[in-house]
Amino acid sequence: MTDNPFTRDAQRYLDGSPHGDLSESERRDADALLAAAVAYRDALPPLDARVDSAVMAELRQPRPGMPAWRWLVQARVRPVWVPLAAAAAALLMWVAGPERTAPSTAAPAVASAHDTVFVQFQIAAPGARTVALAGSFNAWDPAALPMLRAADGTWTLTIALPVGEHSYQFVVDGARWQPDPTAHAQVEDGFGGTNSVIVVGGRGLVRT
Amino acid sequence: MGAADGAIVRAVLAGQEDLFGVLVERCRAEFGRYAVAMLGDADAGSDAMQEACIKAWRSLADCRDPDRFRAWFYRILANQCRTMLGRRRPQTDIDEIEVASRERPDRDLERKELAAALAAALDRLTAEQREAFVLKHVDGRSYEEMETLLGVGVDALKMRVHRARDAMRTLMGETR
Repeated sequence: MTDNPFTRDAQRYLDGSPHGDLSESERRDADALLAAAVAYRDALPPLDARVDSAVMAELRQPRPGMPAWRWLVQARVRPVWVPLAAAAAALLMWVAGPERTAPSTAAPAVASAHDTVFVQFQIAAPGARTVALAGSFNAWDPAALPMLRAADGTWTLTIALPVGEHSYQFVVDGARWQPDPTAHAQVEDGFGGTNSVIVVGGRGLVRT
Repeated sequence: MGAADGAIVRAVLAGQEDLFGVLVERCRAEFGRYAVAMLGDADAGSDAMQEACIKAWRSLADCRDPDRFRAWFYRILANQCRTMLGRRRPQTDIDEIEVASRERPDRDLERKELAAALAAALDRLTAEQREAFVLKHVDGRSYEEMETLLGVGVDALKMRVHRARDAMRTLMGETR
């Protein structure tokens, strides 16, 4: 099957390494192989999220010997409110001062149900007129989740999030998108900015 | 990327089982194309991914190094793909390629033919060569990434890729 092997230089060329001169036929065949690989890759149908749902549905099937109540609990969606104020106060990274305009933020505090988790987001932005929360959980709508301002300039919002990974930013004064520097992960948003990322588990945020 | 894989694996093992969905989503995003390319069609790739995820779930406690979960999962998926390849010769679904190339007919016809020729040649490689070629040229991975996934040294991987390319050159020459 390999009666016409590539030369060492052609292999180095295909590896993207420094290489010597290639004959015309070597370069043509090497380029054709790379072009075909790209065409093949572009034509491959992607695996969509139905795979994820199918796997998780399978995993939620009761296993032999597993008590039935366990699965009933997993299927329940019931908000459980717990006092958040103490946790919020402990988490808030506050830099006081009326001249301050740049917002400071705090990692979200959480109160958990089983597959719905209440997460409290906070940002200290005394100079802001409005602050909203936008993320993968609300289609990045900059107006759908306005945060509430307290007298000390802290803006808070508590929302229910499903267990899983979510990205978000704060939208200050309707225009300025601000990642949460206290989040434990940041990721490029594809538009030159940065999204903050949290992973929500049934017992709170999962940290690296 | 959010919390590292290892932190999520540990949380799942500690009882937060729904978080396994985060790992499934990440693995599908990273290895979905590999599975489809190894088996030649989306349905088989999807089946392989599902089976691999379920096997990973059942043996998660055996993942000795949760911080290297992704490589551990890859080996489960690669074994699954090899098992399925052994059951039948893959036939890349050319209809799917046609659907993806419906616009700009002249240029896309050429690309469709290229993709179909490559798919047909891939079907005639050994599983090991196919894996090496797919990882290098379809997934676009570096040899160092491949080393992490396969646990095989870079020199040996280069040899596999070079042999796969030689075979592909011959096979694609036959179709011209």
